[in-house]
Amino acid sequence: MTPPPATTLAPSRPELVTDGFPQRRPRWIELATSVDHKDVGRMWIGGSLGFLFVAVIEWLLMRLQLAIPENTLFRPEFFNRLLSLYGETAIFLFAIPLMLGLFCYLVPLQIGARTTALPRLGQLAFWMYAAGAAALYGSLVFTPPEAGVNPLPPLSELAFSPSNGMDVWLGSTGLICLGFVFNAINMLATLRNLRAPGLAWRRLPIFAWAATVCSLLLAFIATVMVGAITMLLIDRNLDGIFFSGEAGGAPLLWQHLSWIFYSGAYMLIVIAALGAIAEIVPALSRKPLFHRGAVMGSLVAIAVLGTLAWMQNMYSAPLGIGWAYFAMAMAMLAVIPFGLVLFNLIATMVGGALRMRAPLLFALGAIAMTAVGLISELSHSMVAVAWQLQNTTDATASTHYALVGAAVFGGFAALYFWFPKMTGRTMGEYLARISFWTMLVGLNVGFFPLFLAGLNGQVVDTYKYFDDLGVNGYNLIATIGAFVLAIGILLTLVNAVLSRRSGAPAGHDPWGGSTLEWFAESPPPPHNFDVLPDVRGPEPLRDIRDAIAEQGAPSKAGAAESQPVA
Amino acid sequence: MGAALTAPTLLAAPAAASAVSPEPAHSPNAEDITTLYWISLAVVVALITLVGIVLLLAVLSYRERRGSEPRQVRGTRSVQLRASAGLAILAIAMFVVSVIYTERAREVSPSGAQGLQASSAVYAQKSLKPLPADGEPLRIKATAQQWLWRYEYPNGAFSYYKLVVPIDTAVVLDLVSTDVTHGWYVPALGGKFEAVPGKLNSAWFRADETGTYEGRSSTFSGSAYAAERMAVEAVSPEEYQAFVEQQKRDIQEAQDSVAEQIASGATP
Repeated sequence: MTPPPATTLAPSRPELVTDGFPQRRPRWIELATSVDHKDVGRMWIGGSLGFLFVAVIEWLLMRLQLAIPENTLFRPEFFNRLLSLYGETAIFLFAIPLMLGLFCYLVPLQIGARTTALPRLGQLAFWMYAAGAAALYGSLVFTPPEAGVNPLPPLSELAFSPSNGMDVWLGSTGLICLGFVFNAINMLATLRNLRAPGLAWRRLPIFAWAATVCSLLLAFIATVMVGAITMLLIDRNLDGIFFSGEAGGAPLLWQHLSWIFYSGAYMLIVIAALGAIAEIVPALSRKPLFHRGAVMGSLVAIAVLGTLAWMQNMYSAPLGIGWAYFAMAMAMLAVIPFGLVLFNLIATMVGGALRMRAPLLFALGAIAMTAVGLISELSHSMVAVAWQLQNTTDATASTHYALVGAAVFGGFAALYFWFPKMTGRTMGEYLARISFWTMLVGLNVGFFPLFLAGLNGQVVDTYKYFDDLGVNGYNLIATIGAFVLAIGILLTLVNAVLSRRSGAPAGHDPWGGSTLEWFAESPPPPHNFDVLPDVRGPEPLRDIRDAIAEQGAPSKAGAAESQPVA
Repeated sequence: MGAALTAPTLLAAPAAASAVSPEPAHSPNAEDITTLYWISLAVVVALITLVGIVLLLAVLSYRERRGSEPRQVRGTRSVQLRASAGLAILAIAMFVVSVIYTERAREVSPSGAQGLQASSAVYAQKSLKPLPADGEPLRIKATAQQWLWRYEYPNGAFSYYKLVVPIDTAVVLDLVSTDVTHGWYVPALGGKFEAVPGKLNSAWFRADETGTYEGRSSTFSGSAYAAERMAVEAVSPEEYQAFVEQQKRDIQEAQDSVAEQIASGATP
């Protein structure tokens, strides 16, 4: 800053003079009408974390019912409604939206853009999600859906689910999926068109690359789901027979279409989490990612192979055995990219200088828990073993290890890592540690016993089980563990709320990051960047630091800002 | 992370060995499935242990230390290729082993000597030489409905909830549904198979000893899904014959009496 001149001269040409900024409307109206990707991203993240809380409550209620055999706490209809709501809330209202919110907020910052390419479409995407969520929970005042997590026709047809709760499920899920597609289009257009000069595809930050892969995948799978939902809506309301059993329809068609979506969504959540972890681990190990190319390629392979393995959920359906082997082949091949990502993450840590702060702690938890889930999922990919284990609580356990690992541990790792960028404040480290260890204990105590209960033959989605099955102890322990996990999750949510006001000021770059978002202010101004550094590699900020080190400049942080070019 | 090791340590403890074993198999296909399960469990436990130990070692060995700047190492392509090759070998091996055991579990093995000798009994009268079982499986139609299973035996008799079969006899179930999708699942007799409306699916088993094998439906089918259970009672061939004959007579009697009452105008 140059000091102001001592005397003020009359300007040589007329200037626009205002008395400060124009009068702003109330904050919530500003937020609700905003097309800024940061506002939309914050709304996605805030909404999804709110629904994480709701999903946890629903899971706890179900675990309460299942704590003892033949429990009469809830009527079966009530339990089935909880089940339906939990299934939709966890996947459609929490896990995917959290990832989309992180994409929406961070991708433009990571690629040095001032906005997204289609900001109004991005805004519409969020409000379709909000409308879908409102419709689903609005159904609580009449009849909520009760046809299971994945409502298979003919059960979800009019004849067997006559209440309009099922229509609400379809309508809200359809709206949300269409919103997902719009968000994906916005992200892809942004990534395609608004990258900073010099930021070639191969130089994209890993998280932005994960966003690219996830958006392509989501644009495909969410469209498939919207198609299936439309067909079922036609069946239910316009006398269609797409999925009807007797009238010549194909109930299995829904299984194919919906499993394409659910398998892809599973992969999407894991890929997004791995993308975030692959940013966190190098930053907090002070080492570059071991091999960027291998990780980038692996994320693509996971998306393709994992989605192509959708029929591994249908081994017990009347399907040609060749299709089952095809699905198994895809699932087994997916071992290669998963293993490669894991290998590269661990190789990045080896020889590094690990700063065990909250983001890294949660990232490590995410790696460990997702690995347990994905590896145990291998049994479910083997056709004959899957005949025995699928649809038992064994599958519940491995799915929750993988998805709670990825979406909750991984999502929280991303939250702890980028919260300083979003708010300018760091989240409390002490509460983070308590939350982490509580969650780690809770997840293992709450889900490991379900592996064993599943081996004893306890099937999923039942509102009760019988005393003679011999799974009473496992279920009681799982219920206790679920409460521990819930407390841990709640602690991080509380931490986030408290830290928004009272966290320690973070500055531009609290972690020594290498990508462009750490070049912006925290929180970034509406236009993100005044100037951008020259991008000559995948880690522009590291390049700046190296250049400064070569010149022997004394202060790294201060000098980094005085280096901008064009 | 320590908790990553929770799973393998629990699995490895000898006291927990019975906890990780599935229900004892009582049919050749269930035995094949159990064998493959043990193989998969070994692979899963080995991999989880490996990942857990490596993660733990990395976390413990490479904490930040004042004054030391880590070497900025990047991996080479050949390291990645070698890692991929190792993983590919693992993937292919698991695929091949799974296909082998799945094919074995799928193959309907012929009925044994103790089993029902449906057609061989006829030949036995012509030649006094005792013939081996001809292995022709016993076909039973299992129809699922909300929230009950109905079994139709070859002689026209039927039963609900409990399926009675002769031991040591290959039984092929034709699974159909009259309303929504249901799942047939008797763990001791191998695997679960869905009855999808408008489609025919099949399951098979050969019960090796007498007894009652409990099962439960495994595909969500509506409000009373939890109560939708089934049982398979394996009995000697003679008892089986007696059961189906008796069942047929009882059904006929009941139907006759209803018809009689209707004819006499006693029941509207």
